[in-house]
Amino acid sequence: MIEIRNLYKAFNNLPVLNNVSTIFQKGNTNLIIGQSGSGKTVFMKCLVGLHEPDEGGIYYDNLNFTKLSSRERSQVRKKIGMLFQGSALFDSLNVEENVIFPLEMFNKDMTKKEKLERAHFCLDRVNIHNANHLYPAEISGGMKKRVAIARAIANKPEYLFCDEPNSGLDPATAIVIDNLIREITKEFEITTVINTHDMNSVMEIGDHVVFLYKGELWWEGTSEQILTSGNKEVEEFVYASELMRKLKTN
Amino acid sequence: MILFIKLFKESALFAWGSVVSNKLRTLLTLLGITIGIFAIISVFSVVDALERQIRTSISSLGDNVIYIQKWPWEFSQDFAWWKYMNRPSPRPSELDEIFRRTNILESAVFTASTNRTVEYFNRSIEQVNILSVSQDYDKVRSFEIDAGRFISLTESGSGRNVAVIGSKIASQLFENDNPIGNIIKIFGRNIEVIGVFAPEGDDTFGNNHDEMIVLPLNFVNSFIDVSSDRYGPVILAKGKENFSNDELTDELRGVMRSIRKIKPAAEDDFALNQTSLLSRQFDGLFAILKIAGWIIGGFSILVGGFGIANIMFVSVKERTTIIGIQKALGAKNFFILIQFLSEAVLLSLMGGSIGLLLVFGGTFIASQLFDMDLLIQMKNVLLGVNVSVIIGLVAGFIPAWSAAHLNPVDAIRANT
Ligand SMILES: Nc1ncnc2c1ncn2[C@@H]1O[C@H](COP(=O)(O)OP(=O)(O)OP(=O)(O)O)[C@@H](O)[C@H]1O
Ligand SMILES: [Mg+2]
Repeated sequence: MIEIRNLYKAFNNLPVLNNVSTIFQKGNTNLIIGQSGSGKTVFMKCLVGLHEPDEGGIYYDNLNFTKLSSRERSQVRKKIGMLFQGSALFDSLNVEENVIFPLEMFNKDMTKKEKLERAHFCLDRVNIHNANHLYPAEISGGMKKRVAIARAIANKPEYLFCDEPNSGLDPATAIVIDNLIREITKEFEITTVINTHDMNSVMEIGDHVVFLYKGELWWEGTSEQILTSGNKEVEEFVYASELMRKLKTN
Repeated sequence: MILFIKLFKESALFAWGSVVSNKLRTLLTLLGITIGIFAIISVFSVVDALERQIRTSISSLGDNVIYIQKWPWEFSQDFAWWKYMNRPSPRPSELDEIFRRTNILESAVFTASTNRTVEYFNRSIEQVNILSVSQDYDKVRSFEIDAGRFISLTESGSGRNVAVIGSKIASQLFENDNPIGNIIKIFGRNIEVIGVFAPEGDDTFGNNHDEMIVLPLNFVNSFIDVSSDRYGPVILAKGKENFSNDELTDELRGVMRSIRKIKPAAEDDFALNQTSLLSRQFDGLFAILKIAGWIIGGFSILVGGFGIANIMFVSVKERTTIIGIQKALGAKNFFILIQFLSEAVLLSLMGGSIGLLLVFGGTFIASQLFDMDLLIQMKNVLLGVNVSVIIGLVAGFIPAWSAAHLNPVDAIRANT
């Protein structure tokens, strides 16, 4: 569980995040949505410590992350898995080595064999078979995403941050990836935070949806509730596409 | 430690990837290192070869022999020749005194040399080096006799007209005849050949018996003044075993001063030379050559080092995102530092290796062309490798440091 209390962040005295409070529950896929420039990325970066918030607190299971020393922070970071935009695999490492990388970095006391087993387990879990020795250039975008997910969960994270996980994927593959993330979230009881533009994702896996508007938490709820939020800005966002408008009138 | 090796292996993998993907850029930048290493190591190899040659030559002169001469062996610029000009040359009589007054002397010999024409029937050779020696020459200098024998004590004492000739003289003068027992003509006198030196081959100073004729001093003494400066008179003295050159030098100095009745405050009027002095002279020369190698190579390496630093800055910039991701996945600053440092070292080593290969090629060709025994010594290869590694470390440090200390926020920003 991650609890955010009254988060405030400004750049050059211009508030980008203003008094944001919410709770991301364990075993849930928590989605951050909002228009471009609404502050999603800054919000996420604050959560993982890539930006320092000006005010407010971020509690990882009641541990105030903003108040921790850098040593204590790196303890917390060990429990965070990250899925970067565009997969961001290391081109010079093969699939297996990519997944082993975070194990190599964090787990000094795992044996080589244990690391290999863990990597194989994760790759199995994301349905990558017989590709362990291929290089990123030799596999498809969807597969890269899966490998990246395998890498993100290699360290048995308690928290998983995904930045636009299905950008650049066709809708069918995007849904597969979305569901994979959700399955893993449920299966390993991870607190997952996903930053997305994609209404499909919202409908598919939105256990908890946070809508940011001009840096403020404008609305939050489930994917079902979002269709009937009654909130003007949310509706504008949700029914931006023709398809959703048609669905609404039905 | 095992962890470090693992980390290093992974860093090297990343580094290798970037080297392979930028072949041309890499190659061009390495040129400086290549030329630098080539310059340094080739100079070192040549100097080593010369040094080896000179050392073996010097030791064949006998490194336990003291040369009592008028002139000191000295090559320095401020050579005070006027001080030595008016010194007396050693004389045969002084040899006798030396024998009488020294204790730790094993043997000593007086030699003088001149160039004369040698005749045998209708054949003749001009300007042959004629070495006149007192008895015991064979106890001071080492040599072998191929045919016949060396001058005996009685022949030496009585100044008999006998000669031991060099192998080249023998083949030129006698062709297929057996020289032993035949009569040659030098100084217009008939001289019997009693021995032929074994072939020795050239050394650096051209010092060998191959083109030389050795005659008893007491025989030659009656035609020329062997103590004249023109004939380069020398007394070669060899100490008893278990006595150092310094001890012998000290004793000889005292003896010579008393023979020549030099007052305590006055300077020596003779020089006591030894081969170790000679090699010390060369040490200076070699040191200068090596410094020259360092300077020439150093400039190229400097240029190469800047090139590598430049490549590394580009490389860090290109991989900013990757660095950020590595950090986000738990990579420590040290890991990033090592990664880029090893890339720099790898680059530099590649440049250096090409340089070393060039040296290998060059020495192969040179040894074919000049009949020089040029060997690349392991220590020079190691030197080349070490220099490359150090250049890599120095040139790569700042870029690697800046990569390691990149703020992950900046590093990842491009990404999200
Ligand atoms: N490092 C920064 N310095 C100054 N301003 C910043 C910085 N990062 C973000 N901003 C500003 O903060 C606001 C929110 O940016 P953010 O990147 O969070 O938007 P977003 O919701 O992620 O948009 P998108 O959906 O396009 O990715 C923007 O106006 C942006 O210009
Ligand atoms: Mg964004």
